[in-house]
Amino acid sequence: MLKASDVYGTRPYMSESSYRRELGRARIHEEDLDTILAAESDAEILSESGLTRRQLRRVLLSPGLRRLDPRSIEWQLEEGDWKRAFRRDLPAAAQDRLKDDSPATLWEACFERIDALHQSKPAAAKATRPRDGILAIHGIDTDEVVHPLLIRLSAAYLDQGIAYWPMPEREKGFWNASLKILSQRWTIFPDGLQGLGGLIQSFVKRKLTSEQAIFSCFNELGVHEPEWDDFITAQLLALPGWAGMFHRLEVEPELSPHQRLPVTLADFLAIRLLITLCAVKNASKSGKEWRADLPSTTTTRTHRLSETAKLFEVAQLTGLTSATVRGFTSEEFTRLHSEFLAFNNIERRRVFHLTYERRHERQILIPLAKHCALPSATPAVSRLVAQVFFCLDEREESIRRHLEECDPEIDTFGAAGFFGIAVDYTGLDDAHGAPLCPVVVKPQHEVIEKPIEDQTHLHKRRRSLRKLWARVAQNSYVSTRSLFRGWISTTVLGFFSIFPLALRVLSPLTHARVMKWLNSAFLPEPRTELTFERGDEVGREAASGLLRGFAVEEKANCVASVLGPAGLQKGAARLVVILGHGATTLNNPYESAYNCGACGGRRGGPNARLFAAMANHPKVRLTLAASGIVIPEDTWFVGGYHDTCSDDIEFFDLDTVPATHEADLRRVRRSLDEARARSAHERTRRFEAASRVFSIHSGLHHVQERAAHIGEPRPEYGHCTNAVCIVGRRDTTRGLFLDRRAFLVSYDERRDPSNESLARVLGAAIPVCAGISLEYYFSTVDNEGYGSGTKLPHNVTGLVGVMNGYQGDLRTGLPVQTVEIHEPVRILFVVETTPERLMPVIEANAQLNEFLTNRWIRLATLDPETKEVKIYRDGTFEKLEGDEEPLPTARSSAAWYSGKIEHLPVARIVPTQSV
Amino acid sequence: MDQKILLFLVATPGVVFLSLALAWLLGWQGRERVIARITTTTYGSMAIGVAVLAWSMISAGTHTVSVDLGNWFEVAGYGFPLAIFVDVLSLPMVALTITLVGLVGYFSIRYLHRDPGFFRFFLLMHLYAFGCLLLFTAGSLDLLIAGWELVGITSVLLIGYFQYRKEPVKNAIRVFATYRVADVCILLAVFLAHHWFGSGSWSVLFPGEWPNTTHVMTGPGVTFLAILLVFAACGKSSQGPFSGWLPRAMEGPTPSSAIFYGAISVHAGAYLVLRIEPLLQSAPIARGLLLFIGVTTAILATLIHRTCADAKTSLAYASMTQLAVIFAEVSLGWTTLALFHIIGHAIVRTAQFLRAPSMLHDYHRLHSAAGGHLDKVGEQYDALVPSKVQLWLYSVGLERGRYDAIVDRFILHPLRSASAFLLRIEPSWLGSAVEESTVTPTTPSTPASTPTTSTGDVHA
Repeated sequence: MLKASDVYGTRPYMSESSYRRELGRARIHEEDLDTILAAESDAEILSESGLTRRQLRRVLLSPGLRRLDPRSIEWQLEEGDWKRAFRRDLPAAAQDRLKDDSPATLWEACFERIDALHQSKPAAAKATRPRDGILAIHGIDTDEVVHPLLIRLSAAYLDQGIAYWPMPEREKGFWNASLKILSQRWTIFPDGLQGLGGLIQSFVKRKLTSEQAIFSCFNELGVHEPEWDDFITAQLLALPGWAGMFHRLEVEPELSPHQRLPVTLADFLAIRLLITLCAVKNASKSGKEWRADLPSTTTTRTHRLSETAKLFEVAQLTGLTSATVRGFTSEEFTRLHSEFLAFNNIERRRVFHLTYERRHERQILIPLAKHCALPSATPAVSRLVAQVFFCLDEREESIRRHLEECDPEIDTFGAAGFFGIAVDYTGLDDAHGAPLCPVVVKPQHEVIEKPIEDQTHLHKRRRSLRKLWARVAQNSYVSTRSLFRGWISTTVLGFFSIFPLALRVLSPLTHARVMKWLNSAFLPEPRTELTFERGDEVGREAASGLLRGFAVEEKANCVASVLGPAGLQKGAARLVVILGHGATTLNNPYESAYNCGACGGRRGGPNARLFAAMANHPKVRLTLAASGIVIPEDTWFVGGYHDTCSDDIEFFDLDTVPATHEADLRRVRRSLDEARARSAHERTRRFEAASRVFSIHSGLHHVQERAAHIGEPRPEYGHCTNAVCIVGRRDTTRGLFLDRRAFLVSYDERRDPSNESLARVLGAAIPVCAGISLEYYFSTVDNEGYGSGTKLPHNVTGLVGVMNGYQGDLRTGLPVQTVEIHEPVRILFVVETTPERLMPVIEANAQLNEFLTNRWIRLATLDPETKEVKIYRDGTFEKLEGDEEPLPTARSSAAWYSGKIEHLPVARIVPTQSV
Repeated sequence: MDQKILLFLVATPGVVFLSLALAWLLGWQGRERVIARITTTTYGSMAIGVAVLAWSMISAGTHTVSVDLGNWFEVAGYGFPLAIFVDVLSLPMVALTITLVGLVGYFSIRYLHRDPGFFRFFLLMHLYAFGCLLLFTAGSLDLLIAGWELVGITSVLLIGYFQYRKEPVKNAIRVFATYRVADVCILLAVFLAHHWFGSGSWSVLFPGEWPNTTHVMTGPGVTFLAILLVFAACGKSSQGPFSGWLPRAMEGPTPSSAIFYGAISVHAGAYLVLRIEPLLQSAPIARGLLLFIGVTTAILATLIHRTCADAKTSLAYASMTQLAVIFAEVSLGWTTLALFHIIGHAIVRTAQFLRAPSMLHDYHRLHSAAGGHLDKVGEQYDALVPSKVQLWLYSVGLERGRYDAIVDRFILHPLRSASAFLLRIEPSWLGSAVEESTVTPTTPSTPASTPTTSTGDVHA
């Protein structure tokens, strides 16, 4: 991670001042600092005063160093009170020792020592890129002429359909197409690129491939073989977004949404070097001049002053008097100096981050352990009314909790949202299939949604109407923009677009309703079925290489993969509801980040529908029973879809529900309606724009409006609150307010003696959840470097990405509007099992092992019998001690969260009737 | 009554801006909710106002409503008239401004929520609305310039809205420089109008009711004046010689792109040429120039638009194309058509800009509705020209008409060389007084910041 921050020039942690702020508001405790430092190596620095590394680091963290801006250091020293008085926040011991000393003499003493140390000049730096060298020597930024041209070419090349006129000859590759365009006659290049045409002609004449061209450019720029790697890295990282996009599309061409092109990173690099070479030749005398030594930017004096300031601060904090500082032997002084240099800003932030995570860990684990020790909140009934499966997504935590609060006789479960069915799915309205499974899995089966037999005519009409609409829409899109058609359409029809515009802006919800009504009034909606039946033959589709549908055995496997680990408690209820999820949002190029992560960033409705259909299949049930999973005959499965943005829920195939189950269904739907309203209400507490006093109903209204608003940069907060993943029975977490911050995976270790289910559950949950957690972590700690900054100037480019402004780099990661309330911590997995059973499972899976041993995740276990919590620390498990974090109780979720906007601690919800 | 409404309409955003600015100077950074409420009330009441005004004007047979507030100052026979009026031409522009600024303002309350520049954006938006309304209702060229400049400066400040990034600020300065060059034309036009024809007032220069106005000017000055005003209009509407700045303006946040470059600001130039249309009638050279600029810009802009692969630049050139068509319409004397075109185009473009961030969503929906493949586009040129010419045309489009390269090489580069030369000879010219000047000859990036301007004072 540190290496990455070095290569990309990004920040690995939050800033030191943000951690200090957290310390100030007691999100981190001073005690955490001690604990974390105690776990690290210690050494004696000064024998006389007994100063140790640990003591030094402790004072450097808190109270910490004061900052001096090197650019104005002299002024600050003259005008500030640095030399007039000692700091007031010194530890008592230090204060005591310094009471006879004066700041000015101490400063002098420090300066002498530093001055004596720095006799040599800092080594001359070399430029890594021609641009840096030329900027330092001539003051010309060659990126300013290289980038606009390169970006225009790249955008036009990768464009998937925004430009009316696609780049000519682009099927021949970026290198060839660009050369063709740049070598046109009568071109005029900007000032810094004069002669580019001639340069290109010379390349064209030599008929070089892009790779040969790269070597030729190396040659002319004076880059020798040992430096090639670093040079290429530096060149590509000058525009990381575009280079990254070329790379992605080269490795996975199927990612391009509409048009596949021969994309290679080498082509991009060749064009980049070619233009750079030209710019370098324009700006400097020769192509190699940039390799000269760079003039140093900081003067020796400021460097010494800021070094002195650091030593001065250290001396104050540790209570070293001026006499002591003067009296150091050179060996002692070097030791002290290298010690505090070693504990630099990055190191300090690393320790701060560990304390930040430690506090989070304790805020979760201690209350969780307390909650488990109390009697379970699961109702004591012989058979539940219904069981509802959600995705393990932390955004479903609130609706699950509310559903159980509304109707205690419903139990909820969490499973990865593709529900074990890795499928390539083509919906009724889809043009082609899309994989609905985690991105690491390649689906082997294909399922198509088809109208039922007697309604094919409706489907035909629907399709032709939609085609007609598409043609009209496409034409109106084009015609308002082009010359002649635009002339007529804007003059004649332009005025009328004021009505939809005004409605959309003033009342987005009304607009959405009108559109929905129009859709249902004109577009016939045929009833559909899924073609997922397949005999046992292994016939693959010739075109796609996919198996059409699932055989009975495969279906049973899919169902077992979810029902097995979840272990339907008290047997299956009469009704089991499976809810996939996704999000409908506008004004959002980041749509896939809001959909179901386990479905590859798509909507998981079809998986739920398929799952229900499979589980209702009599033959599948027979096969399942043979393997020990017995589904009672009177149990019916219903699939559904939950929209996490608008909190709408729809069900599939309700017409197949037996009449005997209608009453059950009604009850579940009623409870779900109530739960989604309450959950929406809970969500609105995080939005600053929402009023704090809100009726339950208006909460739902508020989130629906967000989903339909074309100007809303935060349709929902996505996974912004993720921090924990609890793998275990719902029993352990039921009745616990987890503030939508925990992924909840159902897993019952008592039904899994062989650990097989655990392996399957963790194999899906850890990569998905850790991936999400890390995506948010990096986008938060460095929003400009890893994330995409603010969404407001984003400009959709070529349908492949967004860039800032009109000629910028493609942005990666998440925007600030998505991560602004995120607490950047590595995700904490709590698995309800014993370390002895857990570790073999993780070690057997190389991927999981990598996550754990490289410390991308944190891990803890919760013993199902003793309820003891053990935390994984570098290969061993250590028992959770202490109970400084309370477990507050509240009457209901609403009572706990109402009126609050910040992250809330874990609480136990105890409904009044049972008190 | 009508006069009071008109005064209310023009003054309100100005008053709102002034009070917000004053409060801000006193240290109050308004809470979002308060700003939102102020904005909705302001434009809500103004919308009612303009509806009443329109009703009363139409029912009374479309007469002109004018308010004369006397002269701001008078010097030796010259008075700066503070007169505003609204006629058949101004009314739609005023209504359009109020409606679209109101809608975009309402949109921005959501869009800019929690952005650090929220207050600044609304402050500038009110000032901008005031500038627009002043521009469209100004009774004289003198007053029009005030509105013209307010629109210009708010436009530049909003392009540089993201001050912490380099590109927006650089592009804002470039736009500013372009505006200044074009503004020289309109300033010169005012001086000459006063000098030759004794007035800058619309009602004196162009008596009658629009569109049946005539004009009273005679002599060779007419053509020169008309040409100056045409160039000024080109600057505001990004036409002809000033056509390069519009894509640069896309650096600002989406709503400001919508309201400035889709809706009102770019149409201000079209308004100006509509206003002086009778003058063009009697100045065939200026008229020919306008037609030429319109036609060439339209062809070039539509060519560039076809090659743009990002949502906002593509919209910018689409706007430029239609604006060029409007210019051509005016030059042919089709004023009513041009007015309809302005209104329709402004509304469509605003809607499209506001939808630009949802483009991915829209496109995928379209794509799946069409059954996985859309009609092929962009094949018109195939039929028309040989493939070599096609490639050449494409390269022209992709390099944005080579506009920037030409400006860079033939205007900025000589300017820079000249200033570097001046800097070199300066010490010997002025003696040793400024020898220590550490300005390096390579840093100035715009003509506005060339070192000659600063040393000019020393010399004087």
